[in-house]
Amino acid sequence: MRNRVVITGMGWVTPLGETLEEVWKRLTSGESGIAPITLFDARTFPTTFAAEVKNFQLPERFMKSGRHREISRATGFSLEAARQAWTQAGLPEAGAPSAAAVDPYQVGIYLGSGDAALEFVPFTTTAISSWDDAASRLDTVKWGTRALGVFNALREIEQEPCMTANHLSMEFNARGPTFNCLTACAASTQALGEAAEIIRRGDAQVMISGGAHSMIHPFGVTGFNRLTALSTLNDNPSRACRPFDATRSGFVIGEGAGVLILEALAHAQQRRANILAEIVGYGSSADAYRVTDQHPEGRGAVVAIREALRDANMKPEDIDYINAHGTGTKENDSTETQAIKTVFGPHAKQVPISSIKSMMGHLIAAAGAVEAITCVLAIRDGMLPPTANYAVPDPECDLDYVPNKARPAKVDVTMSNSFGFGGQNDTLIIRRFSNSS
Amino acid sequence: MRRVVITGLGSVSPFGLSAEDFWRGLMSGKSGIGPLTSFNAAGFPSRVAGIVPPFRTSDYVPKSYRKATKIMARDIELAVVAADGAVRSARLATRGMVEVFGGAQALPTGWKVVDPTRVGCNIGAGLICADLNEMTSALIKARNPDSSLNLATWGHPAEPGKTSGMENLTPLWLLKYLPNMLACHVSIIHDTQGPSNTITCGQASAGLALTEACRTIQRGNADVALVGGCESVTHPVGLMRWSLLKRLTTTGNDDPAQACKPLDKAASGTVIGEGGAVLVIEELEMARARGAVIYAEIAGLGASATGQPVGQCDATGESMAYAMKKALSEAAIGPDEIQLIIPPGYGIPAADAADIKAIHQVVSSRPQPWVVALRGATGDCGAGSQALDIVAAAMALHQQTVPPGINTLHPLDGINVPHAPQTNSPLHHVLVAASSMAGQNSTVLLKKYR
Repeated sequence: MRNRVVITGMGWVTPLGETLEEVWKRLTSGESGIAPITLFDARTFPTTFAAEVKNFQLPERFMKSGRHREISRATGFSLEAARQAWTQAGLPEAGAPSAAAVDPYQVGIYLGSGDAALEFVPFTTTAISSWDDAASRLDTVKWGTRALGVFNALREIEQEPCMTANHLSMEFNARGPTFNCLTACAASTQALGEAAEIIRRGDAQVMISGGAHSMIHPFGVTGFNRLTALSTLNDNPSRACRPFDATRSGFVIGEGAGVLILEALAHAQQRRANILAEIVGYGSSADAYRVTDQHPEGRGAVVAIREALRDANMKPEDIDYINAHGTGTKENDSTETQAIKTVFGPHAKQVPISSIKSMMGHLIAAAGAVEAITCVLAIRDGMLPPTANYAVPDPECDLDYVPNKARPAKVDVTMSNSFGFGGQNDTLIIRRFSNSS
Repeated sequence: MRRVVITGLGSVSPFGLSAEDFWRGLMSGKSGIGPLTSFNAAGFPSRVAGIVPPFRTSDYVPKSYRKATKIMARDIELAVVAADGAVRSARLATRGMVEVFGGAQALPTGWKVVDPTRVGCNIGAGLICADLNEMTSALIKARNPDSSLNLATWGHPAEPGKTSGMENLTPLWLLKYLPNMLACHVSIIHDTQGPSNTITCGQASAGLALTEACRTIQRGNADVALVGGCESVTHPVGLMRWSLLKRLTTTGNDDPAQACKPLDKAASGTVIGEGGAVLVIEELEMARARGAVIYAEIAGLGASATGQPVGQCDATGESMAYAMKKALSEAAIGPDEIQLIIPPGYGIPAADAADIKAIHQVVSSRPQPWVVALRGATGDCGAGSQALDIVAAAMALHQQTVPPGINTLHPLDGINVPHAPQTNSPLHHVLVAASSMAGQNSTVLLKKYR
């Protein structure tokens, strides 16, 4: 008999703000967090805008211990997001009286966090100054000698994708099973799904799960610009991301973190925690098609969606809302629409679907986590966030995308899709909590 | 509960490009560490490494996929080679293998075509660093006189008709370096459409990847999975990072084979390496039905975190002991039923001491198991390290032989390290433990299949 898995805390740091209610209010008002890039001088780049977390400062409380000195931007986001989630869950602070404390080995971590930026100026300058023009290659002796004097050990290691989990582990004294998965844009949906599986099978009672990522740095934008995956509508950033619209032209890089506290139902009830929702279904698959393209019929996406429904023991008719991957690229939105139609059949037309990436950009590895939180809030308030910037219907995208205006609706069961570059696909089903089911 | 067994082994290591080569190398008792030859490392204090012998990736992929080898970073190439070895040794007729043999009808006897939707892929990866030479060749196209990068001409051509700096990078540049590309390329070559994941937890990645894939089979989401981990740290950035973190020995440059001495009183640091492994794991009934060779059964799995800052191990050994005990309890065995432990054993004194503390919290009974660490033989291959250790554990059970502890001539107190292969007593269980620099622990308990 597997444990039921409930959500008891949530927190996020996003381009639309840093508190649960503030961000949710903006999402449901159709506001945009997308603007010209300020983190570096991107004025000559093919894309000059992004969805940045504005004026982020690591809260004072994290500075005291001295353990988070050289952390990456994304790890900073994750600490604050996790603090919000941990507090909302009502879990005791580290060092609380032993009666209240949770066994640290019963608290695990499963993140989908990305690697951090290189130290851009030292890195590029050291590389360029070590170039041997005559030989037309890098002089590694020169480079090595300089690099050892230029780079900082901690700031280097903090770029590793597993370091975010390390900092959460220290901060919340979590010693249980600890994972970081990096399946590109699907990472934090996968993290939540697998974290739920860990609780289901009883390997932990509490999981800190979600993701954090920032690719708003020169090499991040370079990489996506070279792939021509980004929107280049530099004159109109807030209207640039147009999921499911016929004029969509690419995604917009965002950054941030979303962290959820997952808990075994019995554990949550025993400590009388406020239960926000329940994770009831998870599906995962691979396209196994091409690293550059999604399978044209969404083969892998179909499997992930079907597997999640099967896992939840649900039919398509049970789904009240789909939070789409909806990146705003030509390819993703039509493929995702096709996949939904393949699984949902005629019912596809009845299910409202929206993409919050239209407003907060694509948080890459962290996207799935903020979208899962969005699903819980949609259930809580009976309110669907819109797909902003929707104006011109695309015959290949002919479903209900909740255009431009939030919509009140009866929402008990939500589905969230995430599809990664390279072909890894994940789907999560979250349901309103009811003690009886 | 569905039982999961190991039916295929592929590995890349300084000893060669197959699991057999790797095992033979371990049994030889000689280290695979040599001078660092992948680049001129004269600017660094540590200049030794475990280097994989030369190979051409295109020899390990079906013809139709050769073009894609151009967008594979070294780590991805290693995984592709290891996966080829794994499916061959498992005689698993994946799409890639069917193409290699020239059609399903041309498969040798004993090969089985599998349902691609029931095959998963879960390969641990590290932070893949951009190739310095390739990147710098583009950066210099937008340099200022003071050798800084000119961001303006990096983003946009200085004059009409010229290229911008970034345009000197191949359009698919980013895809070479995404950690999930190990699993993605392997999943495309072998058409594995089942659950796919990429665990990025440093040196604990491979065991955690195996754990996750094993769970998908146990819960019925897949019947087979390609699992493991690969990484190359033998590049300038890797050497720079690990030098700054003071993980590396600087005393072994004159005698590379003796440089890394895991669990030894004379240990003075680890060495960088490259390599890893991919294994085929499979639901027992399916493996039996197709007459597969079963190397070992996955008996128990454990995971935990040290909760310590990076670079500091859990000196109490408590968190690793927790993960080890978890694996034992899942297998429902006592510590006296383990005959061999393969711990992280980096050859870093503080970390080695913590390993032994953990072992002693788990194994206090007699007879003491053998303890063998492999880093003296292979170096630290990041996400590939534990994958190699798991292959060694499976081979040890299959061959009923404990490999010698290479370079552990004067073991730390309280452990038994064999100096030659041991075949005298039966091997029932082997425990593999790994701990990442970032404090993630992973344990894998294998048992002899019967």
